[in-house]
Amino acid sequence: MSSIKDSVTVNEDDANLLVLIIDTNQMNWTKVANKQAMGNCLTLQQILRQLLAFINAHLALKHDNEVAVIASHIGVSKFLYPIPTTRQKTRRSHGDSDQSSNSNMYQRFRVIDDQVTSNMKALFENEALKSCPDKVSSMMAGALSLALCYINRITKSDEIGHIKSRILIISVSPDSPYQYISIMNCIFSAQKLGIPIDVCKISESDNSVFLQQASHITGGRYLRLSIDQSRGFLHFLMKTFLPDRFVRRHLCLPGDEKVDFGAACFCHKKTINIGYVCSVCLSIYCQQLEECSTCRSKVTNGVKRSKTNESL
Amino acid sequence: MSKPSSKSKEFFIDIDDETQNVNQQSGYVWEEEYKRSWDVLQEDEDGSLKRSIDHLQNRLKRKRLLRDTSTIRRGIIRNMFLIIDLSEAMMEKDLRPSRLDLTLSYAEQFILEFFDQNPISQLGIIVSKGGVAERLTGLSGNPMDNIIALKNKKNIDVDGEPSLQNSLELARSSLIHTPTHGSREILLIMGSLTSCDPGDIYESIEDLVKDNVRVSIVGLSAEVQICKYICKRTKGTYGVVLNEAHFKDLLFEIIPPPPVSVAQSNSKLVMMGFPSSVNQSSPYLCACHNKPVTSGYTCARCNSNICDIPTECPICELTLVSSPHLARSYHHLFPVENYTEVPWNSATTTHCFACQISFPSLSERTLPKNLETSSGRYNCQKCNQHFCIDCDVFVHEAIHNCPGCLATSQNNLKSLMGQVNGNFENYENYEKMNLS
Ligand SMILES: [Zn+2]
Ligand SMILES: [Zn+2]
Ligand SMILES: [Zn+2]
Ligand SMILES: [Zn+2]
Repeated sequence: MSSIKDSVTVNEDDANLLVLIIDTNQMNWTKVANKQAMGNCLTLQQILRQLLAFINAHLALKHDNEVAVIASHIGVSKFLYPIPTTRQKTRRSHGDSDQSSNSNMYQRFRVIDDQVTSNMKALFENEALKSCPDKVSSMMAGALSLALCYINRITKSDEIGHIKSRILIISVSPDSPYQYISIMNCIFSAQKLGIPIDVCKISESDNSVFLQQASHITGGRYLRLSIDQSRGFLHFLMKTFLPDRFVRRHLCLPGDEKVDFGAACFCHKKTINIGYVCSVCLSIYCQQLEECSTCRSKVTNGVKRSKTNESL
Repeated sequence: MSKPSSKSKEFFIDIDDETQNVNQQSGYVWEEEYKRSWDVLQEDEDGSLKRSIDHLQNRLKRKRLLRDTSTIRRGIIRNMFLIIDLSEAMMEKDLRPSRLDLTLSYAEQFILEFFDQNPISQLGIIVSKGGVAERLTGLSGNPMDNIIALKNKKNIDVDGEPSLQNSLELARSSLIHTPTHGSREILLIMGSLTSCDPGDIYESIEDLVKDNVRVSIVGLSAEVQICKYICKRTKGTYGVVLNEAHFKDLLFEIIPPPPVSVAQSNSKLVMMGFPSSVNQSSPYLCACHNKPVTSGYTCARCNSNICDIPTECPICELTLVSSPHLARSYHHLFPVENYTEVPWNSATTTHCFACQISFPSLSERTLPKNLETSSGRYNCQKCNQHFCIDCDVFVHEAIHNCPGCLATSQNNLKSLMGQVNGNFENYENYEKMNLS
């Protein structure tokens, strides 16, 4: 399965495009904050500050490094940076930030920091999203699709193949079962394009099965931080996810264990070694059935080979 | 020698008018009129050619895109033999660098893409030369074995005439042993106009029909009546190559799983093993290649060591897959609907929803008069978001997800996905499979 991703050659002087997907589900961040011991609360705000430091570090590594930030929110996924703005608007926002923030700051860092922060604020203030019934999960499949389209555009516009992309997901929400197929589709196209997906999961006990597969299949890094560890969030980010694709080949990074993708049958949800797969819809069962419960097609007995049914 | 007819309608489900027109316009390379290509291009008011070039390119990109997304069943599990003509006719240099070299390099790409799109299918290779057919590889689920066989110089000498009948019979004799739940297909790349057959080929064709083998042929020189007849009888497709790019298009049309006829509404439950992976410090021999390895999988039934999946266990013949392999095929079951072109009067958006590139605005609409103008926006009818041409192509060919549908406030993602294919009432089943 790895034959395709190895075909991408990375060089030392490549520019790196980092697409950062931040899970901004407040519900789950609040849960994380509540679980922590009093006094060292890690809120989304603090995480954001550390992420901005991480983004700046990434940009500082090379003059032509690029970054894009996407929020995977409740009920919506949205670009936080870059967003297309009309010319006057950008000028106005520059004017604003001149007064509010440190004028000693490197211009490019400031533009990105301001845009990410203000767009995230706008996202949280959006009333329409507060009525979304599914508050537990976030729109990770949408965010991944957006990231891949953006990478596709940047890669296409760069004719000499100088830009190497990768995706980093900061996740705090549990997997949403409804997104299984769409997330898998994203993973396979990322694999085909040779884009590694790095995952940083902040959770006390659960691993994200989907995202674990994402980093395993695409050759990215998967790191789970327990809530206690997440106090050193920036430290982990810098050490694990900052090295670009060229440098990684020379490093021994954490989280490179083998993942087993056990299959579970659709009927009892138990893990199986040998199962029966419907030839029409690929559902998995642990026993022979009369009718496939997913696609409702009648199952002909595998022993009798009735040729009249086959018309191909 | 007749001119290649563009694909005939009865065999092709997903034909769109535009493709057909384009095919009819272009003939053989040498028949092409002397075209003054610079006449088509016109400068815009800034004296730049870029926009009108872009416009032409976009039309080409979209041409290949429009796909059939109706809810037909597709045969996901396929058994295919790739038959390659190695007759002396393959040394012709009308395709560059030569028919043979181009065929071999496209065959390699075809095999990789075939297994990428059909992960639990099997493919074997047969070559035909000097009046005989020879099986290079048997049916297997491993792309590398097939590619290595094609790379071996010993296997690809050319000699004499091909034998249509011998190679079809050889493929058929291997295919009839495959279980009936999978499709049986033959893809033949034929450079020669003649064939050296030992008997009555019409009998062989009737046998192929009886055994449900679908034969598709790609001709490299000219249309041959018998090839056309074979494809028609066995419900395959027949195409004759116009130029190098068209060759690739014809081959790659075979890659998406073929639709299954309505009559075959019954499914089969296929026994498959989900092997566990092993990692050992000391090397051991694998059952498939007898080579020392340190990591791999163990067969779920007989515990033999396999180096890679998906494959069939060489000892007990159980199909071995992992759940991501099955997931790779799901996009055939839930295709993204085609986007529609947005006319200028409803082109209100300023940038592509997915990649954020800015769209041409109404004021920039000025294009050379001889080109129909396009707003450059394509609309998803489910989520009503607008996408650029590149994202349109990328979404339908690579991701197989509509970013708009997944990224906008969709409270009813489930019902939305349910609509994609009415057959799949218990769609959630898929999603739960990896959560336990
Ligand atoms: Zn089924
Ligand atoms: Zn076995
Ligand atoms: Zn786009
Ligand atoms: Zn859509």
